[in-house]
Parts: sequence; structure tokens; C-alpha cells
Amino acid sequence: MDMDTIFQTAQLLVEDMAEKIEKPDPDRMDVYMKNPQDLVSAAAGLRVKRLGYLAAITGLDPGVDMDVLEVLYHFCTASVTITLRFQLPKKSPSIPSLCEIIPGAEPFERELSEMFGIKVIGLPNPEHLYLPDDWIEGDYPLRKDFNRGTISV
Amino acid sequence: MTNRKSENMQANGKSERFIVPIGPQHPALKEPEHFRFTVEGEIVTNAYVRLGYAHRGIEKATEQRNWVQTNYLLERICGICSHIHSTAYCLGVEKLAGVQVPPRALAIRTLVAELERIHSHMLWLGVAAHEAGFDTLFMYSWRDRETVMDILEQLTGNRVNYSANLLGGVKYDIDQEIADSILEGIDFLEERTRHYLEIVTTDALFLQRTRGVGVMTKTQAEVMRAVGPTARASGVTRDIRVEAPYAAYPQFPARITLATNGDVEARFVVRIEELFESHRLIREILANLPESDLRARFPRRIKPGETIIRVEAPRGELFYFIKSNGSDKPERVKVRTPTICNMSSVVKLAVGHQLADIPLILAGIDPCFSCNDRGVIITRRQNKPDLWTWEQLRQYGIGYYDGNNK
Repeated sequence: MDMDTIFQTAQLLVEDMAEKIEKPDPDRMDVYMKNPQDLVSAAAGLRVKRLGYLAAITGLDPGVDMDVLEVLYHFCTASVTITLRFQLPKKSPSIPSLCEIIPGAEPFERELSEMFGIKVIGLPNPEHLYLPDDWIEGDYPLRKDFNRGTISV
Repeated sequence: MTNRKSENMQANGKSERFIVPIGPQHPALKEPEHFRFTVEGEIVTNAYVRLGYAHRGIEKATEQRNWVQTNYLLERICGICSHIHSTAYCLGVEKLAGVQVPPRALAIRTLVAELERIHSHMLWLGVAAHEAGFDTLFMYSWRDRETVMDILEQLTGNRVNYSANLLGGVKYDIDQEIADSILEGIDFLEERTRHYLEIVTTDALFLQRTRGVGVMTKTQAEVMRAVGPTARASGVTRDIRVEAPYAAYPQFPARITLATNGDVEARFVVRIEELFESHRLIREILANLPESDLRARFPRRIKPGETIIRVEAPRGELFYFIKSNGSDKPERVKVRTPTICNMSSVVKLAVGHQLADIPLILAGIDPCFSCNDRGVIITRRQNKPDLWTWEQLRQYGIGYYDGNNK
């Protein structure tokens, strides 16, 4: 599959669920999704078209004064990366789990949930992945308001 | 008769189930990680892994360092594949800054990356042979690995964190003397590697430990999202050097190495054959090394933007997402290392195997727990968490080594 076919196929799949679609680099397509509930159907569609290799999930905190968190799902095929981007309210961020259709997503989702405090609904094992079991509840290291000068012991 | 006897040995005639905990501190594991294997007799019926014992909070730490310092930090994510982390980071940041790296610098980066792959695969060969109880192969392969370690030391002055990359180029040049000694070393290694390939495919005792063990089909590898040599041993065509060539791979194309059996033997064969490919690439780069500067000027601040960079580490696809906010520090660096992808395959493959096969199945993916955990948290399990400042922690560390705090 060449680059243009991949982009066209992906665009057709996600167009209806997208607010806007951007191409920041020749080999990248960023899809700004309207609704977090569309994640599973979008990923399933990509999988059916054999574009469903989930390379990583990135969480982003745009800043202390912003009331949203961003989650990026990177799907890679050959040299192309298709990124599904979701904005979640910082007060109660939640997103459905992909484990039903992509079992390998589990460690990524557990990392996302413990580092950013994003609730992943339907995650089979929501325990800590990297952080200690007795980690302070409600303290999320990769959020920008995490207190950097201190360290828990 | 034997059946009845074994029944007599069982409580209430039911089979008993045991959980064997392994690690995080365990003589059989070289890095800290915790596994729990449920066994019925010798057969593993369930497996569980707990990660995080080598988590250092590196992703968070990048937010407090400038672009140059972050390069040094990321190179220390892993002691084995250090160069590839810094290569991924530099390629990404250079793309963000719109800086063109001189071709000679890219070629030297690629050369060091291939030397690193040789040392990493040979290290793995030794470890995996050791797990299979073949310590002679372990000692020979580690002796021969010293050849490539000496080359790396001669080239960069370092054996582990080579620090060859700068933002915008590389630090070290290759002159005729170094080129000659690299070629001489590669000739020796190629001959030895041929010998190893023969051993792992013909030694009857060794094959009993590897052939048909830990089989992962192509479909399984795709569903579990395996990467690198682990995936290629199951016939999955995933090699970033080939799929999305970076650095100097567009000029010096790499060929993909595949096997179809998907067992531990196939993982040996794929990694050893990749060594030949690395030898070939190194010779080709040295014969056609472009003439140019070694580094381009690099800005201190980088314009806002995001970039994604994927590279092929010795263990498989390494993924970086880098975001700049226009300052002299990164807004976010996300690192997804190959081992986290391959780890779930170990847990799945372990089920149904004898407990004695587990070390080899685990070693088969060439796990790197430090890469895996990356990201500063030192815990003394206390009910009430205290907060320490960085200065207190530093003083604690100094005191510890002076013998005051032990």
C-alpha cells in the first residue's frame, strides 16, 4: 500500500467522526476527533483496513491553566503515522479501552491512566504498571501541576 | 501401578496448584522485575508480570532540562541500546528545528547504530545461551563481543554510553586508521558469527532446548503487537530501517531478515543473520563515507511543533513523540520502547510450557527492563508517604556512600 492510498483509506474511515484533519508532515495525518466514544469504532475500522498497528499512546497536558488533557493514539503503517487525537476534560477525563480489539494496548492504557489520571473504561487490569502500589492516590506524575521539587519515599 | 502411586501422593486426589514468585531480586534475573507463574506440576498454567522496578521518571525529567541536556539524559535510558535512543531524539529534534544534518554525520550515526546492534545481539546470544545451559557458547560469544566493544571505544572513547550524537551532527570522525581497524574487527566477527549460526542450528542438545519452544505464530505476533527480531522470527515484516528508512538508511538500504517458525530457534537464527546484515552495512558505509562537515549550527530555542520519529533499535521499533513549546526545553518527550511491546507475548507464550523453558522464552525476546520502565521514584515502603526535596535526596545519596545512612 502506497502512502496516498493509506491516507485516502484512513480519511474515508474517520471523516465523519473528525472535527478536522491535518497533515503536519508528509508522512503524518492528525485526526482531531469529536467524541472519545468513537475511539473503538475508529480503531476497529483501521484494523479491518490493515492500518491498525497501534505503535503508542501519548498523553499530553497542555498546561496548568488549561482545563483539558489530550490523548494521542498513533497507528503506524509502513512509513505513515495516523494519529487519532482526543480532548478530555481535566476534571473527569475518561476514554474507552481498546483491549477488546487490540489486546496489546493494555500496558499503554495502564501507563496513560496512572501517569495522567485518565480513567480507561473497560480496562481488564487497572492496577499500577510502573508506579508503586502505594503511590499517592490522585497524584499524577506527567501532569504539569505535579510537584517536581519533591519525591515520595 | 505408577498412576495409583502418584494418586497416593496427592491430597484428596486433586491436583495442587502452586504460584512460583520470581524476582524482583532473583539470581536468575539480571534486572529487577517481578513474575508470578502458576504451575500445576511442571506446567505453567498462568503468568503475571509486575513492571516498574527500574522506573526512573525520565519522561518527566526531560521537562526540566534543555534540549541539549535531554540528549544526555535519554542516552542513559538503556545501557545496551544507548545510541539508538539518542539517535531517535536527535533526528526528531532536528526535524522540529528544521536543521539539515550533514551527510557524513548521518552516515557515522548509522555506522555506530550498526556497531551497537552487533554488540547488543552478541550480548543477547551469550545471555540466551546461558539460559539454555550452554555456558561455553556464552563465554565464547562474550569474548568475541569484546572486539566490537574495543571498536566502539576506539571510535568514541566509551564502551557504553558512546555520546556520539550531538544535536545537528556527531562528535567523532572516522579516519583511515579507525576504518581499517573496524574492517579488521568485522572480518573476525563475521567468521565467528558463521560458526555460531552453525552451532545454534546443528547442536542436538541445544536444539532440544530451542526448537518448537515458545512458538508464536505470525497472527499471534501481529495481535500481540510484537516488534523487532521477535516479530521477524515469526515472519512479520516489520523493520523500521526498511519500512521507513531514517538517518543514512536511504543511501545504505538495509535488507530485512525473516524466519517463519516463530520458536526460540528462529529468534536465534534471525538475530545471528542480522549480524551478517550489520557487517555488510558497516563495510558499505565505510567504503562510501560522504565528505562533509560533522555538525550543523543548532538553535538554542526551537519553534513550537510536534514530531514523531521511529527507529529500529536492536530489540525492535523504538517510538519517540517530541513536542516543543518554543522554549529551550521540551514540552513533552514520549518514549515507547520495544520491550514493552514484546513483554505481553512472554506472558501469553509461557502458558502451557514447562517452568524450565520460561527463562529461555523470556530471554528470547531480549528483554530490557530499564528501557521498559524508563521513567525518579525511590520507595521505602512506609504507610505514611513523606515528601523529600531534591536537595534532601542528594544529601541522602552522598551520606549513603559515606556510610552514614546505611
